[in-house]
Amino acid sequence: MASIVLSNVDKIYAGGVKAVNGLNLEIKDGEFMVLVGPSGCGKSTALRMIAGLEDISGGEISIGDRVVNHLPPKDRDIAMVFQNYALYPHMTVEENLAFGLKLRKMPKAEIAKRVNEAAKMLGLEQYLKRKPAALSGGQRQRVAMGRAIVREPQAFLMDEPLSNLDAKLRVSMRASLNQLHERLGVTTVYVTHDQVEAMTLGDRVCVLRDGLLQQVDTPQNLFDAPVNLFVAGFMGSPSMNFVTAEMVRDANGAAVSFAGYKLPVPDSTFAEKPGLDRYIGKRIILGIRPSDFEDSVAANGNSTGWVRIPVRANVTEELGSEINVLFTIDAPPVEHKDTVAAANDGDEEEVTLPLTGDKSLWTARVNARSHVRPGQNIELVVDTHNLHFFDVESGLSIGHEANIGR
Amino acid sequence: MRHGKLTPSALRRYGFIVSFLLLPLALYIVFFVSPNLQAIQLAFTNSRGISPTFAYVGFDNFTRLFDDDVFWAAVRHHGVILLAMPLLSLLIALFFSFLLNLGGGQRNGRMAGVWGSGFYKVVFFFPQVLAVAIVGVLFQAILRPDKDGILNSALALIGVDPVGWLIDPDLALWTIIGVAVWQAVGFYVVLFSAGMASVPKEIFEAAALDGANRFTLFFRITIPLIWNTVQVGWVYLGIAAFDCFALVQVLSVDRGGPDNATTVLPLEIWRQAFSYYRFGYSSAMGVALVFLVLTFAALTLRVTRRERIEF
Repeated sequence: MASIVLSNVDKIYAGGVKAVNGLNLEIKDGEFMVLVGPSGCGKSTALRMIAGLEDISGGEISIGDRVVNHLPPKDRDIAMVFQNYALYPHMTVEENLAFGLKLRKMPKAEIAKRVNEAAKMLGLEQYLKRKPAALSGGQRQRVAMGRAIVREPQAFLMDEPLSNLDAKLRVSMRASLNQLHERLGVTTVYVTHDQVEAMTLGDRVCVLRDGLLQQVDTPQNLFDAPVNLFVAGFMGSPSMNFVTAEMVRDANGAAVSFAGYKLPVPDSTFAEKPGLDRYIGKRIILGIRPSDFEDSVAANGNSTGWVRIPVRANVTEELGSEINVLFTIDAPPVEHKDTVAAANDGDEEEVTLPLTGDKSLWTARVNARSHVRPGQNIELVVDTHNLHFFDVESGLSIGHEANIGR
Repeated sequence: MRHGKLTPSALRRYGFIVSFLLLPLALYIVFFVSPNLQAIQLAFTNSRGISPTFAYVGFDNFTRLFDDDVFWAAVRHHGVILLAMPLLSLLIALFFSFLLNLGGGQRNGRMAGVWGSGFYKVVFFFPQVLAVAIVGVLFQAILRPDKDGILNSALALIGVDPVGWLIDPDLALWTIIGVAVWQAVGFYVVLFSAGMASVPKEIFEAAALDGANRFTLFFRITIPLIWNTVQVGWVYLGIAAFDCFALVQVLSVDRGGPDNATTVLPLEIWRQAFSYYRFGYSSAMGVALVFLVLTFAALTLRVTRRERIEF
């Protein structure tokens, strides 16, 4: 096992397209690092450069203590799981698992031992004599995992390994992956465009956009303290609500006002976000997570420091355990380049219809006991301790430790 | 149709299908099946092809065939060609297409061929677009037996005496096989390139990560994955090995010479029919050839039968 260090890594394709731009990343020994970002952000390219399947245009990659820039893939002591599994279709499961070991001239007994262990771990014992064509998608995925495991490499590289599975299987495989990592403790780099996968799997998550590193942190920190509008909008589902607001201070203390609402900003927020006080009297972009809303009825008695805002529910999405309430607020949608990029993550499914006109469509996630119906007026409470503030020009999170002095 | 009754709707449906099949089937019967059946009929006659009267002679033509040295020489040549030509063509084509498509290893994230592979692809395919007559003229010049032949003058530079490529009875057949291979390889390079292109590139990448060098990549991954295509090539070339009429006609001395050293069955059939006007005997040879080809095809299909590979 080993750490993987990328320093100032560039990838420039013919034609001058910079797929990866000065990437600095340290993946610690035994860590599960997820690279996430919208399609075309360079996450797969970065992974393939670690694997040695792509040339490195600039910078240095080291695995363990070795600089591997010029080592061929087979000498890097890593194993990779591909999105389409890339199993050898002419070999049985057993041969697929053993192939890499045979090529490394391992003794037969040792090969058999490792293959059997991996097959047992992954529940593949009864399929060892089958060809990949006779396996289901989930089984093929497990064989692909097994092929990586038997090698006992320094690191696993996974390129969207779950995205060819159906939704239910993906969730259960996600759990198995987690367990597997717990058990083996091998350094893992995992590429996905699915932020739920990123949040649930990663020890740390690295958000990339247009080849540039945005933020690396634990999933919780990414969610609680996104470094800029892009990360704020990309992480979390439903995504964060944005509005351009004005920061004011009057006799009652500081507040942000937008669309006829006025939310007080607690003093503790100013302490947490140094530099925020300089924005008083100026415009900022305000971000509120859907989960920081609650129905005032359902939240009764649990709302100290929460502010009530009355809204009219346009659409409600009932998810059983909670309800997503979609409502419009009387303010134009924020059109910062970062929020556009975050919403457009290549999945096409987030294209919202322009039904709301010049108003912003917000989402609040409330308790299922709320029983709110479309068209009803509802009083929401907002947790003002978790407001996010972004600079209107740069889109950077105000007072985030990484942004101080930027 | 379970009760053998034709309902109107079934009639309409079958009528529709039959209307499509009728014309091609008629053309096939008139221009392919009937001449073949006639040839079998002719094989049992002493027809000369120029007079309307002939007599049935039973198996006389076939018994004569068994004692015909030229016939057996031709069959022997087919055997040699059948062994050598497909094997050489396929091996060379596999090797070239591997170099052209995968031999260069990884480049810019995809498996690439050796440097300049686009140019070589054109060069390799070039012989395929030449008519056999042109190939004949070309190789007559290249293979001239005196010291002015292109090949021989090149050999003279390294001190080798002129070789009678086409006039040496021991060498002539191999020379012709060589030209046939030269002409065939380009097509199979393209065929195998297409086969390799249909293999997901991740499989080659996975193999590279598993530690495969070019040698194992070629023998353990590439060839098994395009085995279906190789089989198709084998059958094509095998059938071509039973032909070779045109190449022998334009290249060999005395059409099949010297001393029948390069003759093949189609050439003998043609000679018996149109030089000696022994249509009955020629047809008997044709029937023998049909049985040879059928045997080969049946054997090939049986021997190379394998599971289909799904990606």
